[in-house]
Amino acid sequence: MRSNWLYSQRIAPYVFVLPFVLSLAVFFLYPMVSTLLMSFQEVLPGQTHFVGWSNYKSMADDASFYAALWNSTRYTFWTLLVLIPVPLVLAVLLNSARMKWSSLFRSALFVPTLTSVVVAGIVFRLVFGSLDDSVMNQFRHLLGFQTINWMGHSATGMVVLVVLATWRFAGINIVYFLSALQTIPGELYESAEIDGANTWHKFKSITLPLLKPVAIYVITISIYGGYSMFTESFMLWNGNRSPNDIGLTMIGLLYRNGVEQNNLGLGSAIGVALLGTTMILNLIALQFFGLFKKEE
Amino acid sequence: MKKRLYGSLALTLAAAMALSACGNNGNNGADASAGASSKSPSSSKATKLVFWTFNELHQKFFESMADSWNKANPGEQIKLEATTFPYDDAHNKLLVSLQSGKGGPDLADIEISKIGNYLKGDPQLVPLNDIVEPEESNLVMSRLNNYAKDGKYYGIDYHVGAQVIYYNKEILDQAGVNPDNIVTWDDYEQAGKQVLEKTGKPMTTVETGDQWTFWPMVVQHGSDFLDKEGNVTLNSAANVEALTYLQKLVKEKVAVLAPGGIHHAEEYYGFMNKGGAASVWMPMWYMGRFTDYMPDLKGKIIIKPMPVFKQGEMRSSGMGGTGTVITKQSKNQDLAKKFLAYAKISKEGNIQIWKQLGFDPIRSDVWTDPAMQEPNKYTDYFGKDIFTFLSGLKSEIAPTNIGERTPAVSDAVKTKAMFQALSDLKDPKQVLDDAAASIK
Amino acid sequence: MPERKPTLQTFLLIGLFVVLALLALFPFYCLALASLKPSKELLRYGLNIKLQPELLSLHNYSFIFSEGSAKYMGWYKNSAIVTIVYTVFCLLLSSMVGYGLAMYRFVGRNVLFVFVLLVMMIPVEMIMLPLYKQMIAFNLIDSYGGVILPFVVSPLPIFFFRQFAAGLPRDFLDAGRIDGCSEYGIFFKIFVPLMAPAFGAMAIVQSLASWNSFVWPLIVLNSGTKLTLPIGLASLVTPYGNNYDILIAGSVLAIVPIMAVFVFFQRYFVSGLTVGGVKG
Repeated sequence: MRSNWLYSQRIAPYVFVLPFVLSLAVFFLYPMVSTLLMSFQEVLPGQTHFVGWSNYKSMADDASFYAALWNSTRYTFWTLLVLIPVPLVLAVLLNSARMKWSSLFRSALFVPTLTSVVVAGIVFRLVFGSLDDSVMNQFRHLLGFQTINWMGHSATGMVVLVVLATWRFAGINIVYFLSALQTIPGELYESAEIDGANTWHKFKSITLPLLKPVAIYVITISIYGGYSMFTESFMLWNGNRSPNDIGLTMIGLLYRNGVEQNNLGLGSAIGVALLGTTMILNLIALQFFGLFKKEE
Repeated sequence: MKKRLYGSLALTLAAAMALSACGNNGNNGADASAGASSKSPSSSKATKLVFWTFNELHQKFFESMADSWNKANPGEQIKLEATTFPYDDAHNKLLVSLQSGKGGPDLADIEISKIGNYLKGDPQLVPLNDIVEPEESNLVMSRLNNYAKDGKYYGIDYHVGAQVIYYNKEILDQAGVNPDNIVTWDDYEQAGKQVLEKTGKPMTTVETGDQWTFWPMVVQHGSDFLDKEGNVTLNSAANVEALTYLQKLVKEKVAVLAPGGIHHAEEYYGFMNKGGAASVWMPMWYMGRFTDYMPDLKGKIIIKPMPVFKQGEMRSSGMGGTGTVITKQSKNQDLAKKFLAYAKISKEGNIQIWKQLGFDPIRSDVWTDPAMQEPNKYTDYFGKDIFTFLSGLKSEIAPTNIGERTPAVSDAVKTKAMFQALSDLKDPKQVLDDAAASIK
Repeated sequence: MPERKPTLQTFLLIGLFVVLALLALFPFYCLALASLKPSKELLRYGLNIKLQPELLSLHNYSFIFSEGSAKYMGWYKNSAIVTIVYTVFCLLLSSMVGYGLAMYRFVGRNVLFVFVLLVMMIPVEMIMLPLYKQMIAFNLIDSYGGVILPFVVSPLPIFFFRQFAAGLPRDFLDAGRIDGCSEYGIFFKIFVPLMAPAFGAMAIVQSLASWNSFVWPLIVLNSGTKLTLPIGLASLVTPYGNNYDILIAGSVLAIVPIMAVFVFFQRYFVSGLTVGGVKG
C-alpha cells in the first residue's frame, strides 16, 4: 500500500471529481459568464453595447413570455404527474417474478424513445390531424364525438404534447427504475413475506424507500426536461408557429428571439431567466427530499 | 495541497479566458474551417469555395454551375465544397459564425424572411454592386432590393417568385366558372359562391400558420408589412381591408382554413390532391409542390394572374426568395463574385435556374428565350406557355419592402394575426393593431 | 427461483403489457409501413394504416443502400463513430465523478453538486455562441473533438451515478480498505461491478443522447462528409418540400443500431442476479 498522498483517503475524492471540475472550468465557466454578460447587452456585429436591464424589461413586457412560461409549467406538471408514477409501477410489474416475456415488452416500450424526434413529430402531426380521416378523429367518431382541430386549441394541443412525451419517455423512465430495482436484495422481500406482508405493503415499505435516490433523479431531470422541452413542440407545429403561441415553450421563446430574430441579448436574458427558474424549483424539490442533509 | 489544486484551477481558467478572448468581429482571422488555399486566380490550381445552403436542389445547381464554369474558365478553376444543412439551423449556424467572426463559408444561401437578421449592425456580407449594376436593365431589380441596405446589394436571388393563382379547371368547369372573367376580388367572391353552390367545394384555402395568403394581397394593394424605411405598417388601413375581405370569405365558406395550417403541410397536399378546393394563390415556385406532391392534378391546373381590389393595381408581386451571399470571411471574394455572377446573373445561369430548379429567373430578357419552352416536368404538368404568360405580367410585379424587422413581423403574422383573424374570427383591425404593437 | 405456474395475475399482467406495447409500437408501425410505400402515397392519403400489399416494396431502402448510400451511409458511419467514442469516455469519467460525490464527504461536495445540476440545466442554445468561440480558439471547429469534448463529462450521468452509488451499502468501502485496496482499486474492482445496472442504463441513455444529438454537432461541423445522422435526416425536411422517401426509410433504419445497443445492455439492468455480497 502506497503512502503517496495521491492515494490517501482525503485526496481521492478530489481526484474522482477532477474530470468535472476541469470540464466546468474549461468549457462552461466562460460561456456561462459570457451569456450572463450578453443578457445585459445588445449583441450585433461590430456594434455590441451595454443596455442594462432593458432586455429583461422587454422580456417581461412580452405577452409571449408569459405564454411560454405558462406552457412550460403546465407541460412539466402533467409530465411529472404521468411520467413518474406510471413508469415506476410498470417497472415494478416488469420486474416481478410473475411476469413473462419481460424483455420483449421492455424493448417494445423503449422503441419510441429511439425514434428520431423529427419523424415522431410528422407521425403525431398526422395522427392528430384536423381532418375527419385522421386517426384520432376517427377514434372520436367511434366514441360518438365530433372531429376537432387537435393542434389548434390550447387544451387539446397540450394533450397532444403530453401524449407525445409519454409515448417517447415512458420507456426510458422504466429503464431507470428497473436498474434501481436491481439493487434491492431479494431477501428483503422474502423476509417481509414471511412476516406476512402483502404486495402493497412490500411496495410501500421496501420498494419505494429504496428507490428514493433514483426517483429523486428522475423527478429532477423531469422538471428540467419539462421546462427545456422544445424540439417536440417545434416538430409538432412545423416550426415555432403554433397558433396563438399555444405550443410555445421557454426554449422556443429563446430560440425565436435569440436565433430567429437575431436578438442574442434578449435570448440570453430569457436563458438566464429559465435557468434561474428551473434551478430554484429543483433546489426546492431536492431540499424537500432531503438530499442535502447530512447522511447518517 | 489544496492551494496547489486551486492554483492550477485558476491557471486553467485564466488560460481558457485568454485563449477565448477573440472578440474581433467581422474580419478574416486565421480561419480554421474553410481552409481555402488563397491562390492567385491566374494559377492553374483550383481554388476552394465553401458554399452553405439548406436546399439540396440549390446545392446541385451550384455544383453543376461550378462544372460549367471550370470548363469555360480553365485558368480559374473552382473547387466547390457545398453542404446542405437543415433549413432553420443553416441560418442559425451562419449567424453564429458571422457573429463570432470565424468559421464561416465563402458563399451561403439566406432565405428572404431571415435576411433582416444579417443586415443588423454592420452586415458581415460583401456588397455586390459591382456585379449587379452593369446588368440592372435586364434584372427585376425589386428582387435585388430585398437584399439591400443603404444602397449596397448583398444577395442575389434565385427567382422572382411571381405571385399567381392556380385554378383547378375541373372544378371550375363543373361550376360553370370561367377564370378569365375573374378580374377583381369581388368577381372572385361571386365566382366562389357559385362554385360552392354548384359543387359544394370551397373556392380556396387560406393559411393560418404562414404568410402566403395575406402578404401578396397587401403588397399588390399598394401596402406591405413594412414601409420603405423599415417601419411597421402591419395595421395600415389597406391591410385591414384585405384581412376583412379574407375573413368574409371564410365566414361565407368560400374559403376554408388550410388543413395542417399551411400550404406545405402533408395533410394539405393530400386534401388538394383529392380536389379539396377550386383554387389556391401562391408564388410561381409552388409549381414544384404540384408536380411532386399532387400528381393526380396533372393537366388540371391552370395558372392565372391574381385578382385585384381595384382595376389598375398590380396583378402580381415578388414573393419569397432565397439570396446567395458572399461573407466577409471569404478569402476569395473576387473569384466568388465572378462565380456568383456567372451562376445567377448571366443569361446562361438564369436559363439553368429554370431548367434545373423550375424557378422563374430574375433576368426578364430570358423569359422570351425559346429555351424556356422546352419540355420538362413543369411543362408536362402545366402546359408550355408558362413563361409567355409570365412575360405578360412583367411590368406588374409589385416589389416588397424587406428590412430588419421582417423576421419579427413575419413571425407575428404567422403565429398570431392569421389564426386570430381567420380561425378565431376576431376583429381584423384589432388583430392587426395588437400584432403591430407586439413588434419592437 | 422456483417456476411458478401461470396464474390469473400473470395473464392480466401480460394482457396489460400487450396493450401498452401495441400503443407504443403503433406510430412506429405507421412509420415502417409508410417506408415501404412510395412517398407520394403518404401525401395522397395521409397516414394510412391499411396494409395495401400491392404498394409495398423495398424500393426506398434499396435506394438508400445504392444511390443514396454515399450520403446516407456516411451519416450513419459518422454517428456511429461519435457515439461509440463519446459513450465510452462519458461513462468512465462520469461514473468516477458521481461515485466521488456519493461516497466521500469533502469540502465543496455540496457546492460541486449544485454546479453539476446547474450545468445540467443549461440549454445548449443558450451557450452556443460563446462555446463556439471557444471551439475556434482551441481549433476544434469541424472536428469530432469539438463535438465530444465539451460534453464528455456529462452532468446527467454524474447525477445518476451519484444517486445510484448513494443507494449502495458503504460497508464495501470499509471492507475494501481493510483488505488493503487503494481508493481507486475499491472503485474499479468493487463498485464498478456493483454499479453494473447503472452502467447498463447509462450506456443506453448516453449512446441514445449522442446518436440523436443535433444542435451542437450542427454548429460545430462544417464539412458535408462529417455530418451525423440527425443532421442529415433533418436536412431532408425543408419548409418547402421534404424528401420523404429517404427521410422515412432512413429514420426507420436509424433505430436499428440503438435498438441493438439496448438489447445488448438490457441484461445489465435487469437480472435475477442478486446484488448481495455482504452477509449479515
